[in-house]
Amino acid sequence: MAATNETKYSHLLQPLATLSPPSNSRTWQTAPHPSQPIVATACSDRSVRVYSLTSFTLLHSITGGHKRSVRSVGWKPGVRGQSVLATGSFDASAGIWRRRDDGEDPQDFTNHGGRRDGEDEEEDDDDDEYQFACILDGHESEIKSLAWSPSGQYLATCSRDKSVWIWEELEDDNFETVAVLQEHDGDVKCVNWHPEEDLLVSASYDDTVRLYKEDSDDWMQVASIDGHKMTVWWAEFEGSGMSSKDWRKGREGLDERQRNYIEELERSGPRLATCSDDCTARIWRRKPREGQNSGSSGMPSIIRSTAIDEEWFEESVLPQQHTRAIYSVSWSQTSGLLVSAGSDGKIVVYKERWKSAPFQAHNEHGTLAEWVVIAELWEAHGVFEINHVTWAPRKDKGVRWEGEEVILSTGDDGEVKVWELNEQSGVSAVAKGDEMVA
Amino acid sequence: MDLDKDNANPTILNPSDLPSRRQESIGRRRNEGGTGLFDGLIPQYNYLNDPFEQSALSSDSEDEVSEIIDEQEVYDLISSISDPEHPLSLGSLAVVNLPDIHIQPPISPFSSISTVLVEITPTITHCSLATVIGLGVRVRLEQALPPRFRVDVRIKKGTHSTDEAVNKQLGDKERVAAALENGTLMGVIRKMLSTCE
Repeated sequence: MAATNETKYSHLLQPLATLSPPSNSRTWQTAPHPSQPIVATACSDRSVRVYSLTSFTLLHSITGGHKRSVRSVGWKPGVRGQSVLATGSFDASAGIWRRRDDGEDPQDFTNHGGRRDGEDEEEDDDDDEYQFACILDGHESEIKSLAWSPSGQYLATCSRDKSVWIWEELEDDNFETVAVLQEHDGDVKCVNWHPEEDLLVSASYDDTVRLYKEDSDDWMQVASIDGHKMTVWWAEFEGSGMSSKDWRKGREGLDERQRNYIEELERSGPRLATCSDDCTARIWRRKPREGQNSGSSGMPSIIRSTAIDEEWFEESVLPQQHTRAIYSVSWSQTSGLLVSAGSDGKIVVYKERWKSAPFQAHNEHGTLAEWVVIAELWEAHGVFEINHVTWAPRKDKGVRWEGEEVILSTGDDGEVKVWELNEQSGVSAVAKGDEMVA
Repeated sequence: MDLDKDNANPTILNPSDLPSRRQESIGRRRNEGGTGLFDGLIPQYNYLNDPFEQSALSSDSEDEVSEIIDEQEVYDLISSISDPEHPLSLGSLAVVNLPDIHIQPPISPFSSISTVLVEITPTITHCSLATVIGLGVRVRLEQALPPRFRVDVRIKKGTHSTDEAVNKQLGDKERVAAALENGTLMGVIRKMLSTCE
């Protein structure tokens, strides 16, 4: 059973629910819907399971599409009236699925006179299911990961064939390949998008992380990040505008160096978290361009194309808590906390805070902040490995404050577990991130 | 066909020279059942959770859950695997050797996860089947050992020309999972493991 070193950290991860019924074989990844209280889980039994975050029960099982494990799922953002799901499979194909949304908005509610689920179900049975829309063929071997760009304009996929593909949906179900990027020397394990720019990141079996941008109609690599010593399993950007939401938001009592530091972080924009077989998770930051002021006076110029390359440097290595491969790391878009999980079955939550005085010398890449562990849970899925971990808005009736989040972990035991992060009372101030500096 | 073999004349150990204690296999019972193509290959994760399965197991051996698994036991599980190109076992070919099996107990009182490290010695340094042999060993142990064991299979250092590349593949969970869904490859593995009963 899950165990926690209760006295050591300021917070506790406590079980809220297990999505039910679980799959009876390995589950790989769980994607929260961008606006509805549902999640999709990629399963090794070739299906996708859609669960409710309100009742924690299974709503839909999407089967019959893929011939091998479904490895990755992603909801298209910014879609109205329907939900669009992309699925990436070991059968080398990606599928697009659509379902008309339930009438859960007030307008629809009055139309139906508040009908209960189940009454009208027979007549719109077909509409209730996820319909296969189209298949994206092109990869030569297993698709490992896929991700929609924040605008929903692009879908990126990556594969053991070492390539990253970018697809653009020209009209409904008509996808065009806009780029095939073959920079990696090994399987590409993960793709993700920057929250503000059309900047794509990929992580690979070749131990590197690469970034891509479009420049005069061509997508090209703009940075390569070396640092991990083994396979990089996951790469994910920080949320947008986090300096006004996370530990940096309270500015009173900060000295000039701290204020400058926050400005510098803002100029860099959202950072990147990566995790690896080498048992480390790392934070990377973009070096702001000279004379570039928080991106406001971006000078459109022909010269820009020669200067599209970006420089990303390692800002920090998270406290090393894992003893086996870390498969997943995720940023909270509301609190800025990070969570990681992997082969050792542990879930670890980290918080960033000001380093306590006296400050370290502020050299070129010096950082005035540090990451500390605030919660650690052993054997979150019993003895099984955890393949993915992510934050999601809390949607059950037990929600305690607006914007509360839960952690979702997806394991080899076929289970998706929902965790609540609770402050632990009676912990010495030393372990509490918040009060440390103040 | 013999002409295609990477090593047509391997050294063969006498069965009586192989390390043994007892031949009963703790993994045997987990291989039964499952008629579908993949059923037998999917790690039977629910076996500790399913109450009916559990009672069936406990009648088989009272102390199944608490039984300590040692290196000899792991050796017994994998030494009977057949070499993919010779009608001989990995034990008799000295591909797997008792001193190259290492069991690490849980690293913390909060954990019950143990690690099994098996270093295999391919019969010749450029043996192209090293990956398949390693995969067979990993699959065998993942099916036979309780899920609290993490299985690491590596090529013994200095015994193979591309050991780093092979090790990286064998250590990659996602690649191993995909390989298990590959019918052709699984046919080979199944044949190797058919002598493990």
